[in-house]
Amino acid sequence: MSEMILQINHLSKSFGSHEVLRDIDFTVEKGDVTSIIGASGSGKSTLLRCVNLLETPTSGEILYHGTDITGPKVNAAAYRSHVGMVFQSFNLFNNMTVLENCMVGQIKVLKKSKEEARAHAMEYLEKVGMAPYINARPRQISGGQKQRVAIARALAMDPEVLLFDEPTSALDPEMVGEVLNVMQALAQEGMTMLVVTHEMAFARDVSSHVVYMNQGVICEEGTPEEVFGNPQRQETKDFLSRFRKN
Amino acid sequence: MWASVQAAITQLVGTSVGSMSFWERILYLIGKYGPSYLEGAGNTLLIAIIATAIGCIIGLGVGIVQTIPVSKKDNAVKRFVVRFFQVLLRIYVEVFRGTPMMIQAVFIYYGAAQMFNIYMGTMFAAFFIVSINTGAYMAETVRGGILSVDPGQTEGAKAIGMTHVQTMMSVILPQTLRNIMPQIGNNLIINIKDTCVLSVISVVELFFVHKGVAGALYTYFESATITMVIYLTMTLVCAKLLRWWEKKMDGSDSYDLATTDTLAHTTGMYNYPGQGSPYDEKSKEYDQKRGAKHV
Repeated sequence: MSEMILQINHLSKSFGSHEVLRDIDFTVEKGDVTSIIGASGSGKSTLLRCVNLLETPTSGEILYHGTDITGPKVNAAAYRSHVGMVFQSFNLFNNMTVLENCMVGQIKVLKKSKEEARAHAMEYLEKVGMAPYINARPRQISGGQKQRVAIARALAMDPEVLLFDEPTSALDPEMVGEVLNVMQALAQEGMTMLVVTHEMAFARDVSSHVVYMNQGVICEEGTPEEVFGNPQRQETKDFLSRFRKN
Repeated sequence: MWASVQAAITQLVGTSVGSMSFWERILYLIGKYGPSYLEGAGNTLLIAIIATAIGCIIGLGVGIVQTIPVSKKDNAVKRFVVRFFQVLLRIYVEVFRGTPMMIQAVFIYYGAAQMFNIYMGTMFAAFFIVSINTGAYMAETVRGGILSVDPGQTEGAKAIGMTHVQTMMSVILPQTLRNIMPQIGNNLIINIKDTCVLSVISVVELFFVHKGVAGALYTYFESATITMVIYLTMTLVCAKLLRWWEKKMDGSDSYDLATTDTLAHTTGMYNYPGQGSPYDEKSKEYDQKRGAKHV
């Protein structure tokens, strides 16, 4: 049994009277690549945002190495520095260059020296193939490039888990591949990842675990072979068949 | 050319103003009161620039306090203190935005003397009044500027573990400042013009000089012409300078590729030659290897 990083128990989230998540249970172990799939509005993104405390869960608990991080005394900023997040809309800092984007967190949060932060940032920027663009500003590079920088920025914090919130949904089709390639390589290196995605090929071929969400609950979960090869629930079958047709 | 103007002025001295033409009167006024106009213009510019700068700092402070997020998770003391200051600053903004600066000047200048025995110099009073007035306007501008920054920027900063203060200092405020630069310029220009109301407490600024000169010689039109030209020159130059500064803030439109290393374009691009991945142009190759079809 490998090490448990995140354990989510009975998590619920409502926006007003609208219940978005209902009684969600699942765990993330070290090295897991979990893909969360499902139709739009099924609560996938909200679930991911709850895990990073960008949304406050209405009830339930999120255990990070056994400690509940939804409590009032928890330092959310410190927790988030261990859990990286990559957004659909990149959210790169517009007032900084590519390199500064990857350095600022290391300097301000991890209190590293400038030289150290620079070297570490360069390491990851090279990895995602963005090293030549360190002097560019976010507005000057393409969407796929922005997303690769965003991944490098998250990686530079040496997170234990990396959350991806539909990282390729805002990209032109020809740019999707470059981002997924990076993610696939990360998965092969053993990075623990939690990925909300509409890329069924990624979910099937790269992830170790697939969660299908429908209307705020986890409808089915298992290995990619189980969920894609032999779905048990009718909702899952319907959802997957819609994708196959396209 | 200046010599001929000076000669003309010397000629005019001793002649009665009433017998002069429009242009002669203008020359006469410049010759006789030129230094006074310059002193007035200098004071106007000084008050406007310094008070706008101080006003921006006040506005930044107020805007930051107004946008401190208070959640139910925070303890009661913090919530009370933050709310208290937010309400207090709200009152400050509404009072100084909602009353004319002219009456504020009279109220503060004479009020301080009568109620608290504080006799401030007119220049000090000018800086004080214009600063807090600008601060009230800038507070709303800054608040709007902060709110106009994409919430995604805050989320991006939070996601790498930055605190609210770190997020504000490193990410939000630099962008806010850039966004409100046109508004700061607007305020500076408004202040250059609106300092004229300070003549009501005898601050020696440009309008005060004009009033003195015009009243002494009954040359209202001529003096007003000179004053108009000086005001317009000051505002145009300031507008131009601010535009230039904005451009500088934006930085260059181009950037240099860091390609000292010839491999830099390809290092770590995560390619698997001969193997392919499901997401690039080699996907067929990959599929064949897997012996499966794409979903």
